[in-house]
Amino acid sequence: MPIDAAETPVDTKVEIPKVRAFRRLLERLILSEYLVFYITGVYFLIVWPIVPEIASFSSLRNILTDMLPLLVVAIGQTFVLIVAGIDLSVTGVIAMASVVGASIMTSDGGYLQGSALAIPVGIIAFLVVGGLIGGFNGWCVTRLNMPPIIVTLTGMMFLGGAAIWFTKAHSPTSSIAGLPRAFVAIGGGTFAGVPIALFVAIAVVVVAHFLLSQTVFGRWLYAIGINPKAAKVSGVPVDKAILWAFVISGVCAAITSMLLTGRLETGTPVLGQRILLDIIAAVVIGGTSLAGGKGKIIWTVGGVLFLVTIDASLKLLGSSLFIVFAVKGGVILLAVGLDAMRQRILARGSG
Amino acid sequence: MQVGENRTTLLLLNAAPWVAFLAVVVVFGVLSDRFLTIQNFMNILTQSSHIAIMAIGITFVLLTAGIDLSVGAIMYVAVAVLALFLGGIPVVIAFPLVGLIGVALGAMNGYFVIKLRGQHPFIVTLATLFILRGAAIFLTDTRMVFVEESVMSLGRTSYFGVPWAIWVFAVVFVIAWIVLRETPFGRQIYAVGQDPTAAAKAGINVPRILFSVYCICGFLAAVGGLVSIAQVAAASSTFGFQIEFPVIAAAVLGGTSLFGGRGGVVGTVFGAVLIQTVQSGLVMTNATPYIYPLVTAVIIFLAVLIDGLRTSILDTLGRRKIRVEEIA
Repeated sequence: MPIDAAETPVDTKVEIPKVRAFRRLLERLILSEYLVFYITGVYFLIVWPIVPEIASFSSLRNILTDMLPLLVVAIGQTFVLIVAGIDLSVTGVIAMASVVGASIMTSDGGYLQGSALAIPVGIIAFLVVGGLIGGFNGWCVTRLNMPPIIVTLTGMMFLGGAAIWFTKAHSPTSSIAGLPRAFVAIGGGTFAGVPIALFVAIAVVVVAHFLLSQTVFGRWLYAIGINPKAAKVSGVPVDKAILWAFVISGVCAAITSMLLTGRLETGTPVLGQRILLDIIAAVVIGGTSLAGGKGKIIWTVGGVLFLVTIDASLKLLGSSLFIVFAVKGGVILLAVGLDAMRQRILARGSG
Repeated sequence: MQVGENRTTLLLLNAAPWVAFLAVVVVFGVLSDRFLTIQNFMNILTQSSHIAIMAIGITFVLLTAGIDLSVGAIMYVAVAVLALFLGGIPVVIAFPLVGLIGVALGAMNGYFVIKLRGQHPFIVTLATLFILRGAAIFLTDTRMVFVEESVMSLGRTSYFGVPWAIWVFAVVFVIAWIVLRETPFGRQIYAVGQDPTAAAKAGINVPRILFSVYCICGFLAAVGGLVSIAQVAAASSTFGFQIEFPVIAAAVLGGTSLFGGRGGVVGTVFGAVLIQTVQSGLVMTNATPYIYPLVTAVIIFLAVLIDGLRTSILDTLGRRKIRVEEIA
């Protein structure tokens, strides 16, 4: 374990100035909010000489486009994790929104086939599906006193099945194709050479960051995550805030669904099925805690960037699936270990 | 205020799982004349046995307020090792070896959970899920693996008219039940789940208990893998993929709390069998396969909803300790 290796200088009794300086630097690095960015940078620099192609324009572009859908849904997840919840239903939302939106816009017998309203209504349908499912999750958690993990787990199972069933009812094949060009551009198109998805993702990042760091709503979320009872006593509308955190997660998942559906040019019920654990892993690698009360949008950006960079580099290295899985697992363990270390250092600093 | 009314509601809510089970049996019994037969009941038990066995394992972990997402990956590793390396070895030797692998992998989970205290087991076992799935893919090279005829024949064997899988299921259940109800170790598991700090103060070695439950869970995941592979004979690279979700669902459906200290293996077995009963009923009534996950999800949702309502009614009944019998 690299954790133990890093710990050795901390525990040394001999206080040689150099060791002490090194220790302080190490501690500062570990405590840094942007650690994951440094690690990504170092990792990139290590991989660069081995596979120079990783720094090529097309590879960097691939990293970016792979990153965007994952980033948007991970940002939504960050909100829920901050209030000590979890949202496993996001992949269900991605699948369901994809087929519902596609069923409206498709040129093979869509509800608004050929109409000028098809795209705006389709986009609204995506967002409404996400918002409603998020709202339902939040309602169950706050009003019905149900644990978030189970509510959203059953949501995932239900929506996964419902999306397939919905597709069967609307299409002879297992997906809904024939989407309008203008919609497909959201996922795959460019504007002045820049992917349109990038604009969407940046907008989501900016809004989410603003919500969390600049508004009362953001403060409420952190307060609830740290101690819901204390927050309630202090007059925070706990239930309402948690409900909205889930709505945000649902809407973000719906936006991701739009990006993925656009890129594939079809609505499909198996969309995003395999990225659930990646989403949670990315947020946690960034430094957001599953215990609630701790998390930032910029951390999530770092976590997603790191995960996608690893994926891309391993692909270029021609690694087998085995290495991809094992490295991902190792990275999560490392992130968790670093967080544990961080808390130990902080506890010593204050005690 | 309306304590009496609340008590009646509570009684109703307590009986709800049984009522639901009866309702399921009656409805499908009416819809299909093949449903209410001994043969079908045996089939249901056989098909649910691997999920039930793994769910019993995860019940131990849930009772300590932990969770284990890696059970599907452990199951795959265990079966891959059996198929690839233990081919010529008689099952009496091979199976215990596979069980040992399960224990070892569970021990790895337990080690990390203890070492990284303060981090939720959810994320720790998520990491080991990735690592173990990677290891299994490395072993199998993403190819289909097949087990020996001697293993497959077990899947077809019956003793006293009862299939082998059900015997394994029954033995695991009885041992788990005795361990949880009748031994100090079992009571310590509940104590740790209810309040780890208090348990530590009472002299319980909390890390040891945590370590043990993950070992048990790993072992039963491997056993679940064996029971499953004996029935299906071959494992593709998606063997056990995301099986953690139905496994956790079975335990939760049976009334085991995710927050520790509440629940038991009787409920878990009930949950696993109920899920399979519904699926079997849907098959017999020729329902479209796409509806299976929908129905299963709704049932689990309702079970947890009832549990939530029960908890809030208990809260309004005041601070007095009222012992509500678990589904057990």
